[in-house]
Amino acid sequence: MSNIIDPLGEAGLAFYSKVSASISHEIKNSLAVLNESAGYLEDVTLMAKKGMKVDMERLQSLAGTMLKQVQRSNFIVNNMNRLAHSLDDPASQVDLNVLLELMINLSERTTVTRGFKVSVAFFDTALTITTHPFFLKNLIWLILDFAMNITDDAKKIELLPAKLESGAKISFTGLGKLTESTFKDFLSEPVLRILSLLNCTLQPDDGKGIITLNLPEKITQPSQ
Amino acid sequence: MRLLLVDDEEEFVATLAERLSLRGIVADWVTSAKGAEKMIETRHYDLALLDVKMPRVGGRELKKIIEKKLPGIKTIYLTGHGSAEDYQAGSAEAEYYLMKPINISDLIEKINDALGK
Repeated sequence: MSNIIDPLGEAGLAFYSKVSASISHEIKNSLAVLNESAGYLEDVTLMAKKGMKVDMERLQSLAGTMLKQVQRSNFIVNNMNRLAHSLDDPASQVDLNVLLELMINLSERTTVTRGFKVSVAFFDTALTITTHPFFLKNLIWLILDFAMNITDDAKKIELLPAKLESGAKISFTGLGKLTESTFKDFLSEPVLRILSLLNCTLQPDDGKGIITLNLPEKITQPSQ
Repeated sequence: MRLLLVDDEEEFVATLAERLSLRGIVADWVTSAKGAEKMIETRHYDLALLDVKMPRVGGRELKKIIEKKLPGIKTIYLTGHGSAEDYQAGSAEAEYYLMKPINISDLIEKINDALGK
């Protein structure tokens, strides 16, 4: 299969598929809550018809639950929609604070299931760069996936976006088991291709357990 | 018969337990493997309904923990996840592997079947 599909395309598809699977799981969970809530309403309606007393407080709390789940599903679908639209343009302006917030939301189910806490210390002002939004998200996803294998026992990863003289950087911290050798293994063909496409570099600091992604203010070779 | 329901979606698992109770089925619920381990220390359960994907310890790992304490307990897996790999592994390990959202009549049928009723 890898002989037929370009490694960059394969990495992009794998990323999109994983996010889609995670999101469909989240939506299923939300539907399951709605299903049980509606089922409970049906149960109490049948009981009320038989003359049994209905607990109005419980009904009110159930309505609140259902509204909350609709909002939750809407939030999930909006995030999916934002990811889908990041393929609209091969080079567009993005605010890294906004992009990282989306990435935390999209990856939350995966990171939490694996027992990790991933957070972002957002930059005080907007961090705007011109890049390929989809492949930057893909790269961040790959770095996070790698980071989860090399954290220290606290299992906490903090992302620190910051401004550079010309561009911006994102530091991934908490990687206590980062070594030269593990970092080398991470630099697979798809990762190198994305780094090249985004004109960016990855800088490991195994002494501090940090990987820094340096991003230019504007990419020079948008993909076709 | 007494059931233990384990799912990290609190509103789902609490309402499901309530609906089972309306049908005369006693079901305790918790939202984590840790909570389940506490429950089985003091109570006997005939069947565990376990969510496959939960933070830290998932249903498949929890099943092994529960079986050490309660050998012979029956298990039904629940999931919102639809990977073929999970389905194959889950179907082989548990009495049933059900996808969310579930139909309560189907669930009760499966519970009765698993318990030989």
